[in-house]
Amino acid sequence: MSMSSLGPPAPAEDAAHADITSFAAAFEAWLLSRPAGVVGASFPQPTTGARMETMRRLMSDLFAEGWGRWGWPEAFGGLGGTILHRAVMWEGLARHGVGGMAAFEHLEVLGPTLLAMGPPEFCAQAFPGFLDGTETWAQGFSEPDAGSDLAALRTRATLDGDVYRISGRKIWTSWARFARWSLVLARTDTVESRHRGVTAFIVDLRSPGVEIRSIAQANGHDELAEVTFDDVVVPGDRLIGSLNGGWAVAMHILSSERGTFAWFRQCFLLQHLQRMLQWGTPEADGLLGDAVLDLASVGALSIDALRVHEHGATLGPRAAFTKLVLCAAEQGLFNWALASDADVIIDPVDERGLDLRAAYLFSRIVTVYGGSQQMQLDTVAKQILQLPA
Amino acid sequence: MTLVEDPDSLFLRSAQNALRSTDGDEALRALGWRDLLGSLEEDPDARLGVLAYFQAQGRELGSSGALGELMAHPYAGLFGEDRAVTATVGRRSARRGNRAIVVGTPGSNGILIDRPGHGISLVSLDTLELRPIGFSDGLALHEIESDLTDLPISLGEAQAVALRERSVQLGRLAIAYEILGAAETALAGAVQHARDRTQFGQPIGHFQAVRHLLASARVDAAAIEALAHLSAGQYPALPPMRDAILKALAGRNGRRICERSLQVLGAMGFTAEHEHHRSHSRVLVLDALLGTSSSLAHHIAVTLRESAGVVPDLNLSVAALRAN
Ligand SMILES: Cc1cc2nc3c(=O)[nH]c(=O)nc-3n(C[C@H](O)[C@H](O)[C@H](O)COP(=O)(O)OP(=O)(O)OC[C@H]3O[C@@H](n4cnc5c(N)ncnc54)[C@H](O)[C@@H]3O)c2cc1C
Repeated sequence: MSMSSLGPPAPAEDAAHADITSFAAAFEAWLLSRPAGVVGASFPQPTTGARMETMRRLMSDLFAEGWGRWGWPEAFGGLGGTILHRAVMWEGLARHGVGGMAAFEHLEVLGPTLLAMGPPEFCAQAFPGFLDGTETWAQGFSEPDAGSDLAALRTRATLDGDVYRISGRKIWTSWARFARWSLVLARTDTVESRHRGVTAFIVDLRSPGVEIRSIAQANGHDELAEVTFDDVVVPGDRLIGSLNGGWAVAMHILSSERGTFAWFRQCFLLQHLQRMLQWGTPEADGLLGDAVLDLASVGALSIDALRVHEHGATLGPRAAFTKLVLCAAEQGLFNWALASDADVIIDPVDERGLDLRAAYLFSRIVTVYGGSQQMQLDTVAKQILQLPA
Repeated sequence: MTLVEDPDSLFLRSAQNALRSTDGDEALRALGWRDLLGSLEEDPDARLGVLAYFQAQGRELGSSGALGELMAHPYAGLFGEDRAVTATVGRRSARRGNRAIVVGTPGSNGILIDRPGHGISLVSLDTLELRPIGFSDGLALHEIESDLTDLPISLGEAQAVALRERSVQLGRLAIAYEILGAAETALAGAVQHARDRTQFGQPIGHFQAVRHLLASARVDAAAIEALAHLSAGQYPALPPMRDAILKALAGRNGRRICERSLQVLGAMGFTAEHEHHRSHSRVLVLDALLGTSSSLAHHIAVTLRESAGVVPDLNLSVAALRAN
């Protein structure tokens, strides 16, 4: 796929695109040429695997053309620019029909932290593979006995000469089945040390001793997985952040996951809204109105988040606002969709219906991942309202 | 009083201080608010100052004619500059149709009465019959009782349309800020109460159910604040329906904030003596002006549905990012 025959739009590598306006205009021109990768990713896919494959193809095209390299430092395979470039790119993709990010969500959840706190040499080698779609990443935080209480995690890393040996069990690891690398939070001190004794490791999921079992979900998809580590060897320098400094890494990631990530997700919610409007019924107008108010709120809050991250800061506890409003918007949107077209549950008829059913069901669980609604409200009460605990 | 952990803007704090020591119209003079109003279009800082006044007025439950003056601003210069001009604020009554409201203490100034479909009339306020309305929140409101059907038209409908849109946008922006301020005050009272009130041997703010009520209210306030600031920055280039969305959001969230705060206050919050009802009524009264949250949300939904296929760019995202 190439633009060479079309001439006018400036090529993606053009240094002028450091300016976000210039980048947005040129990228829009490219999108208007209906590139095959974009068109391919705008159809609902029958399986999680097929979804992942179409997205890999799209990322590969975006990388080859250069668009997908904007917003990332040159040292890590990028072309420079800021998170605003990425915001503009994904917004454009969503507007032109792409339905979601699949595993590439982790570019926005994990990516900024990897580059800020990860070992620079390793990241310089590995990150381009993430950008071009060949080697994706996963986030190994949760365990069977450590959900909301993440500091209770038990997966253990033991130093053995110049390597670490990791054993334990992670669960609900999204997209692990497709990933080459996982960030793994492991215990490097006693269990009693709680969050002070946790370290973030980079684990090669192809290593001996790693076993990945996918989990069939209630919405028919299966991107979630259980990942077990049985004496898995990890080179001693594959740490993100410092030894026993894993909690700060997790907090940095969660600032993206709860804050800026909302921008990327709302782009796709607006895309869903657009697709579904033709099925809207007058009876459901009340729900639609409510959903629009929350969508506009999440847009405004996440633009603030983007600006904060653009300047190298993180949101801290305020990311809970963005996360909670994003949940309300997503659930509100699909409340309206279901009210408008109840067929999707009982008789979805076609790929569109199946896709909508899966998205509706997924929206029922968004108040759990990334820190549950109750944990976010706890954060606001304690850290923002400063109510005594 | 403030719950915003970000430092409030200097202007917001000065406006609150001014409103604590004097009435609203005097505060506007002391703050140089009318000078800021003069550079509303071209100077984003002036615009933020003009609107911050309304947040302060909401927090302090002040009363002034600022809303009418702001809404008259798009018409400035059209009728000669010899006297202060304010605008009426529209409201739809289920029983009596469109009503024109004068906000603030009526003076002898000229007043613009907007009659959609006909045009705009400029009349002297003292020629009109006014009836006080409103509810326990300290905001002076009068409804024009006079029959408006035969008023001479000062600006024909063709010319009025674009200016009216601006006027309503500004009015809704300002009301959203004032609702935010009033709701913040209601919430601040409830947060303080959660620290002070003891039951079962501990402050009720220890109970997670109470904490979550207050936290949800704080999230609702953050949403109004973010969308109001974004819109203030983007004005006059607002995305389609943004003023309606913002006003509807402020009304819906503002009411929810007050309801959750009231729940935390318990029976005490239901008394005339406790100040909660004043901010709560301010929110309810403001929600009734320039479209209630439910009527606006309905309008937004119908407009979207009828334009199926071309969703208006709700967040006008790229442009929003580029702005400042
Ligand atoms: C779609 C999806 C994708 C996910 N992807 C990943 C991933 O990629 N990587 C990863 O590491 N994890 C992932 N997770 C896991 C997610 O982080 C956890 O589900 C989450 O932290 C909650 O843990 P839990 O499910 O064990 O629920 P629990 O912690 O057992 O909570 C159950 C319920 O109890 C409530 N609760 C718990 N403690 C309290 C309390 N103190 N006060 C009040 N209520 C409380 C919770 O709010 C919740 O409603 C994913 C989850 C989902 C649903």
